[in-house]
Parts: sequence; structure tokens; C-alpha cells
Amino acid sequence: MAFDWLTEFHHDLEKEPDYNEKALAAYRLGMRGKGSIAGIKIEPGANCCEAARNLPEGKIYGAQEVPSLPLPGCPQGRRCACVYRPAMNYQTKKAG
Amino acid sequence: MNSMVDVLTRLPLFKLYRMTGWPQMLPLNLTLSPSPKCNSRCLTCNIWMKRENELTIEEWDKVLSSLGQAPYWFTISGGEPLMYPHVVELAELAYKHCKPGIINIPTNAILPIIPERVEKIAKACPESQLIINLSLDGVGAKHDYIRGIPGNFEKFEERLGQLLELKKSLPNLAVGIHSVVSVFSVGHLDELIAYADKSGADQFITEIAEPRVELDTVGLPITPEPADYAAAIDRLIAYVQTKQFKGISRITEAFREEYYKLVKRILEVQDQVIDCYAGWVSAQIYADGTVWPCCVRADRLGNLRDHNYDFREIWFGEKIKEVRRSIAAKECHCPLANASYTNMLHDVPTLARVGKKVLGIGGKGKSAEKPSVPAGAHLMQRPETLVQIRPEALKPLPHPSKPTAGLPGTPTRQAALEEEEVRIAPQG
Repeated sequence: MAFDWLTEFHHDLEKEPDYNEKALAAYRLGMRGKGSIAGIKIEPGANCCEAARNLPEGKIYGAQEVPSLPLPGCPQGRRCACVYRPAMNYQTKKAG
Repeated sequence: MNSMVDVLTRLPLFKLYRMTGWPQMLPLNLTLSPSPKCNSRCLTCNIWMKRENELTIEEWDKVLSSLGQAPYWFTISGGEPLMYPHVVELAELAYKHCKPGIINIPTNAILPIIPERVEKIAKACPESQLIINLSLDGVGAKHDYIRGIPGNFEKFEERLGQLLELKKSLPNLAVGIHSVVSVFSVGHLDELIAYADKSGADQFITEIAEPRVELDTVGLPITPEPADYAAAIDRLIAYVQTKQFKGISRITEAFREEYYKLVKRILEVQDQVIDCYAGWVSAQIYADGTVWPCCVRADRLGNLRDHNYDFREIWFGEKIKEVRRSIAAKECHCPLANASYTNMLHDVPTLARVGKKVLGIGGKGKSAEKPSVPAGAHLMQRPETLVQIRPEALKPLPHPSKPTAGLPGTPTRQAALEEEEVRIAPQG
């Protein structure tokens, strides 16, 4: 895909202390706001912890059920490279 | 008032600044994003979901006063900037403190209050060129689908008419049409060109949809395939070359053509084709006061609230050094239009090509990358023939789900239009 560097770069960004709170609030609003977002994905970082490796691949979560990042037991703290991604309707319809 | 001559004298100094770190310079090109709130629901953007502890207008006053008359070009972005309740005051403050040559505001054209706000800004900033670019990503239902708002195209046409009327009494107002060329729209760019051509707008500009941290679109398949983009943009270039431009438009159109070719090249080679000056010449201030070198990477250089609203503290501070190193080392590349135009001003080969084109040296036929003119492109010059080219010009619309994007496909765009649920978004 184009701009792979940006995907890696985004994984490597240190998370703000309120990353979870802000990202999930945005997705909750997005899902209520009749946009094109269908749910939330977790995209594990390249060197993610075992808990992240064990997440079901490609699972799309609702705003209430999505696990907090970093996952419990992740040793990387705010350097955890796992990120949330919006799952868009135009992706999920095709995939489903 | 900031003048273009003044800008030109600063360009060599910016080159030196980027190479050596001296002389320290404030940015020429600054994007202000006072709020992420937006009443569009675009397939290519998720910024509307964000909520921030936004800078107050009093805080913006302090920030802008710290910039002096450095910025020549302001973009007031969003979200939907003309929905931001203090947009008139923000433009006034930018004008008062910085005396910019250009204030550029994109808009989704939805709210009825837009013409009133534009008029107030134009009158409050009489010596700045105010450019209002109305977003248009398709004609009719295609626009509404991509922007996620039923009836948006109708509102676009209404607002365009109102702004063009307003323009008659406001000499500093220019009204343009801006299209994001995404995987959703690349197949109907010809139709957009034809529409824009007869619209009466001062300019038609396009920007490729690229993922941005700002918009929470990292990893989303919104960017057209290089070949699709190249084919569409070649037809746009061919169209532009059929037009006769005068005065300053000759220069801006020459740069525009260079930008389109630059984007093609970036998609092709996936590299920083010319040096990027984001972080030296251009920057963005986000709604919560965070300073970014650009909205694609959105590196948090610092928050103005933590620096007594003094932009200089962040711009000449320590944290930005690592980001500049990374940009200079070409650890990133993108076709972001705002930064790309600034970058082209600092690229000697680009300037030489623009100069040759403006002066008419070499002629169109000698362009190394002269696109093939599609059948019917020249008809676009004559409004009465526009409708004739539309069916031939349109090719089947690609979809983000096509196999090359790594997802299973759907047969046609129309099917997708019919299949998509009706999405109704709040109107502000």
C-alpha cells in the first residue's frame, strides 16, 4: 500500500497519556454520528507483546468492548506500538 | 502588508536555514485548524469525530501576535472552518498581527451562514487575497455519497452561486473549486473538470487523498493506484494546457501542473522527490494549540499553552530538531498539496520549468512529461460541448475494494451507491 512509512511511523509514535480516552471517545462519536465508521480495529505493533499477538486477527470491536491500549501486561507502556484504527463501512462490507 | 517580492527574497534564506540551521526563520505558510468539528461525513476523512480542548480566540490572539509578519500564506482549515463560530475574528487577528498576502479557506459549502462569514472576512482583511475553495468530489449524487451528506451537491451549487455574486463587490475575494482525488473519485475526474470549467469559479484545484495522522486515515485505502491517478491527472494536465491563462494565473497554473506531475512521481517512486520544507517554511497549529510540521506526520512539536503562546519557543526549540532531521533524511514522503507548493518554490529545476512555461520558452510540446490529450479534451474549452464529452470521458469507477487494494471487489460504483445505507449527518 502507498505510504507504508506513515503506518510504521504512526505505530512508533509515543502515545499521549490520554490516547485511549480520546481515540475511543472519537470512535464512539463516529459510530453515533452516522459517518462511515463501522467499528474499531487493533493493529498490533511489529514487536508487540504476547497479549497483542493473541488478539483475534481482523476483529472489529464495538466502542464499549474494545480493549484498552497498551494491553494488560504490555511492558512497553506509552511506547506500545499497537494502535487503534477505524474500520470503515466500505472496508467491512467488501470484506464481509 | 506582506508582499510576494518579500517572499521571494526569503526563499534563499530558507534554503540556507534548512541546510545549516541558520538564519532562524519563522514559517511563510501556516495552517490554522481552530476546530476539528465538521458537518461532513467524508469517506476520506475522520477528523469530524475528534473533540479537542480548543484554543480560545484570546489564546489565538496571543499566538498570532507571536508570529509577527512572518506568514505570507494562511490556510484556515478544520473540520469545517466556516462552521467555527470565531472564524471571522480568527481571520481578523491573523490579518491584524501578520498582514498575510493570502488567506485561504476551504469549505464544504453546507451551512447557509457561509456567504455572510466570507463577506465579513473579505471586508475585514481588505489587503489580503481571500481564497475560498469549495469542496467538490463528484457531480450530483456522487458528491453526496463521498461527502456523506444527502443534498450536499445542491448546497454546493447554491453556495457557489452566492459566493460568485459576492465576488462582484469584493475585489479581494477569489472563489475556487477543490477536489480530493481519491479512490472514490479518480474515475470521474473528467466529469469534475467539465463541471468546474463551466461553473464560473476562478480556479479548479485538485489534491490527492493521502493518509494523514490528523484525519485518522492512516492505513485506509483512500489513495488511488498510481496508474489510475496518472491517467486521470494526465487528462487534467491536458485540459489545463488547452486553456489560455493571463497574468498571475499563468504562474499559478504552471505551478499547478508541476504539482500534478510531482504527485505522480511521488506515487511512482514512493520517495521524497524534491526536498520537503515542512518544519522550516510551513507548519500547522492544531485546535488544542499543538504545533505540527505538517498534518500528515503530525509530530507534536509542542503545545503553545505550555510555551506562553509563543510560537517561536517551539519553532526554535529543541524538540523540532529531531523532526527536521527526520524530514531532511527523507524518512517521510507525501504529496500534501499545501507543503508541496512551498517545496516547489525552493526547488530550482521546478522553478526553471515554471519560468520557461510562463515565458513561453520551449512551448508545450517540449515538456518532457507531456500528457497525451484525450479525445474530446479540447472540447472542454467550449461550454456548449461539455456535455458531449462526459459519457466518453468517464471510465468505470474504481473502488477501494478492488483486488489491488488487497480487498475483494464490487462490480460497479453504481452498485456501491445503491448498496450504501443512507447516511444522514447533523447539519452543524
